[in-house]
Amino acid sequence: MTPQYGVVLVDIIQGLNQRPIWMHLAWRDVKLRYRRTVLGPFWQTLSLGIMILALGLVWANLWKMNVRDYMPFLCTGLLAWSLVSSLITDGCGVFIQGESFIKQMRVSYTMLTLAMVWRALIVFAHNMAVYVPVAIYADIEPTWASLLAVPALFVISINGIWAGMFLGTLCARYRDLQPLVSSLLQITMFVTPIFWASDQLGPRFTLFVDVNFLYHYVSILREPLLGKAPAAWSWGVVLVGTVAGWVLALAFFSRFRQRIAYWL
Amino acid sequence: MTSIVVEHVTVEFPIYGSQKSLRKELFGRATGGLIRREGAHNRRVTVRALSDVSLRLGDGDRLGLIGHNGAGKSTLLRVLAGVYEPAGGRVAISGRVSPLFNTSPGLDMDDTGYDNIRTCGLLLGMTRDEIARKIPDIEQFSELGDYLSLPVRTYSTGMMTRLSFAIGTAIDPEILLLDEGLGAGDARFAERAARRVDELIARSRVLVLASHSTDLIRSMCNRAMLFESGRITAAGAVEEVIEIYDQLNQAATAAAAAAETKPPLRLVGAE
Repeated sequence: MTPQYGVVLVDIIQGLNQRPIWMHLAWRDVKLRYRRTVLGPFWQTLSLGIMILALGLVWANLWKMNVRDYMPFLCTGLLAWSLVSSLITDGCGVFIQGESFIKQMRVSYTMLTLAMVWRALIVFAHNMAVYVPVAIYADIEPTWASLLAVPALFVISINGIWAGMFLGTLCARYRDLQPLVSSLLQITMFVTPIFWASDQLGPRFTLFVDVNFLYHYVSILREPLLGKAPAAWSWGVVLVGTVAGWVLALAFFSRFRQRIAYWL
Repeated sequence: MTSIVVEHVTVEFPIYGSQKSLRKELFGRATGGLIRREGAHNRRVTVRALSDVSLRLGDGDRLGLIGHNGAGKSTLLRVLAGVYEPAGGRVAISGRVSPLFNTSPGLDMDDTGYDNIRTCGLLLGMTRDEIARKIPDIEQFSELGDYLSLPVRTYSTGMMTRLSFAIGTAIDPEILLLDEGLGAGDARFAERAARRVDELIARSRVLVLASHSTDLIRSMCNRAMLFESGRITAAGAVEEVIEIYDQLNQAATAAAAAAETKPPLRLVGAE
């Protein structure tokens, strides 16, 4: 396949220009997913809240930790993880789900990806409703470092776009990848310091933390939510991942974009 | 100036996940595109849906595509819509394309008619203001009344067609691509749809219509093309092409009839 950089550039510019469309599609997805339910999108927030409450109480006790310390740690970790992991799993299905658009008209694939990312951000905003009572209960005071959550969200979204382009294309062709990725993510959640702190691991296993890309993506968002500045190392890893991911995704996407419609 | 230029276009569909039985079935099929095997041990199965198709259309052209199921009509429409990038050849289109296939792009069954008008309108390149201005026109043409406030899944097939058609034709497309779009409507709707398309065409636009109905093509088109197994086998004036198509059908019917009237096999030595 010869790469078509020009076509991909047009696709990306068109996608960015179609902001009203992807914002509309994202909202529609959120609304439709919970149509005829009373709580709507807050169902996901509620189940996350119950999980944090139950696990927070039990595991704080199990590990002999103070609930006031453990609960916000768990809450922010799960919030950040749910955003990162939904970008990956939804990214896998972005073009498969977009079949009804792709097969009917010339559509910007970037636009579909942006709708997916925007939807994940809307769900994240709903989930933040859990954070407020936890932060009040644990006396987390907003600091200057808290503001770092904003660039973190932005950079995570930028990564969600390349992940959608790359994984969405790959999964459209190889349908085994989607279940594979989601089961790998589930395992990754347990070996990533979400439920436990990285210093609990002991020196022998620090590789699990240092080399774990996803941990750093979670960290840059979690630490500001706890009122702390994330490690510079985490930001470094994320920025390298962002650049490397975009290079990989563009090289891949420019070769296979025109094949996606045939694979659906 | 709207124009469509298609030069030597070839489209091949890869068939994935085809088990042996499916392949056998594909090879045994009488209609459809050419099926080929490629690669080592013939592992890759592709269906050649279009081979070496060329055409040229300009303002005022109303082209009807005729052919059996799987002859390549819909594939050509989707190539013109920009869905499929051809494996070979060149496509150049200038003008705003409005594809009107079996459903409108982005139509969601759980959304109301009005919500779908907004979504589809945005996708077809309208702004929110433009959509708001077009809504009375869509209401009037679709004749759906209060149904527009209900989820689309409560619609009948014919009502869905009316909605899709009303949206697709509301945008003043320069190039209108229709795929059996009118099949599900009742006679009165078909008549009104024909009038609406006439109005569109009158503004010197291009129409490409794929249909099995020779009557529909007679009433709407001024040129026709006959497709067989992904190739153009006849092109020209509507009546001439339809005549060739009819002859083809008669020959096929005669062959099928001849096959049926063969004397039954006698069992020899059964006694």
